[in-house]
Amino acid sequence: MSAPVTLETEGLIATLTINRPEARNAMSIEILDGMHKAVVEVASSDASVLVITGAGRAFCAGMDLKAVLIELSGDAGLGEELLTSLAELTLKIRKLPQVTVASVNGAAIGGGCGLTCVCDVTISHADAKLGFPEVDLGICPAVIAPWVVKKLGGGMARKAMLMGGVMSGQEAKDIGLVDHLADDREGLGELTKTIADRLATGGPKALAATKGLLNEIDGSNEAEMVLKGAKLSASVLATPQAQAALAARLK
Amino acid sequence: MIKAELQDQIAIVSLNRPDKRNAMVPAMLEQLDQEIKDCAHKACALVIVGEGKTFCAGFDLKQCANDPGGETMRALLTGLSIVVRTMRAIEIPVVLGVHGAAVAGGCAMLGGADVVVADEQAKLGYPVVKIGVSPAVSAAFMMASITPGAVRTRLMDTELVSGIEAKRIGLVHETVESREDVRSRAIEIAHILSQKPGSAIRATKSWLNEICEPMTNNAQAGLDVSLSLTGSPEEQKRLAALWG
Repeated sequence: MSAPVTLETEGLIATLTINRPEARNAMSIEILDGMHKAVVEVASSDASVLVITGAGRAFCAGMDLKAVLIELSGDAGLGEELLTSLAELTLKIRKLPQVTVASVNGAAIGGGCGLTCVCDVTISHADAKLGFPEVDLGICPAVIAPWVVKKLGGGMARKAMLMGGVMSGQEAKDIGLVDHLADDREGLGELTKTIADRLATGGPKALAATKGLLNEIDGSNEAEMVLKGAKLSASVLATPQAQAALAARLK
Repeated sequence: MIKAELQDQIAIVSLNRPDKRNAMVPAMLEQLDQEIKDCAHKACALVIVGEGKTFCAGFDLKQCANDPGGETMRALLTGLSIVVRTMRAIEIPVVLGVHGAAVAGGCAMLGGADVVVADEQAKLGYPVVKIGVSPAVSAAFMMASITPGAVRTRLMDTELVSGIEAKRIGLVHETVESREDVRSRAIEIAHILSQKPGSAIRATKSWLNEICEPMTNNAQAGLDVSLSLTGSPEEQKRLAALWG
């Protein structure tokens, strides 16, 4: 079996690829463990920029629904384990001294879309699909909500997360979820390279100091709400309504 | 002054003083607050709209000018602050439809809403410093919604912006072409929300409220600043000049 997460470095740019294309890069425990390891490796590397992207058609379809549906996994604790791991991963990514770039090659859904909000810069293309359909499945996007609020502001985050559904790359650009937009999927690689190269021209210390200050100002170092979000999200996930909605979605 | 109806699990609360462009008086805000609280137990989503040509022109300044002691202004500022906080606190999502205009106190109501629809040509803004009133009462909820830079401009500049510009800065989430379509679109959005699992919507709204508390906790401080200017010579002079 191929590695769930790959990490390649070229010059000052590291690229983390979520590599589970057959499941639209949904976050299983293996994927999350792989991402934790890769992020730790990047933290102590000489890279100035970390690009996060997905293998295949999707960026990341969010939490692995098969793992959080108790009747399938047979493990009622797996949901909270996954959500806590995701919460810790988001904090770890935010704390990286590197500038982080989400290169959204395809669907970025739920936790996958939350991951883009943790990154400093998001690049996508007009045909990508992004959004937070958690409420449609009876679940609560509590882990990622603090990051979405920081990215979009409270008002737009509220609208996006309560209305659910998904939006196009263009709509995501219009509300500030995406910072740079390629015309199509084919153009994303080149645009990502252009922007990552430009970011990498910055002095690594200047970049890290600036990012550190922004994190301090916007409360990114406060882990409490994100970790509390994992508990809240897990408690909603375990309700019969949420489990029934998930089961219906998977059938 | 307030009309409330229930349509398939959607509560529709309308500001109903159309001959005064729905200008707010203290009793109206009390009724509004009560209706919002009541519907939270009966409905899955709440729509707030205005009757007549425009959503809301803000406080009824004629009543304020006729009350040099400032009691009316104090009651309005307090009532408005309470309404916005109630909109935020109720468990069900709140959709607000702005047709025509949402000015001053009318625009402040956007701060408590979860989703805001306006028509493209609607006029929105907080032009209250020109009458010697501080819009500080709205600051906390605006800060919790849009960028701090936009809050500064909007609260200190007396300019009214279009629905399109309000959408660009995030004050409005969706625009419709014609003011006639605002109400139906707001109801439609509430229907979409009401079809979603209620427990997930309630958990998500309440969690977002908690995340935004560091900002919204300043609501009382903002109200106090606005109240502190009430009855000031500057305000009295400028209010009187409006009707001079």
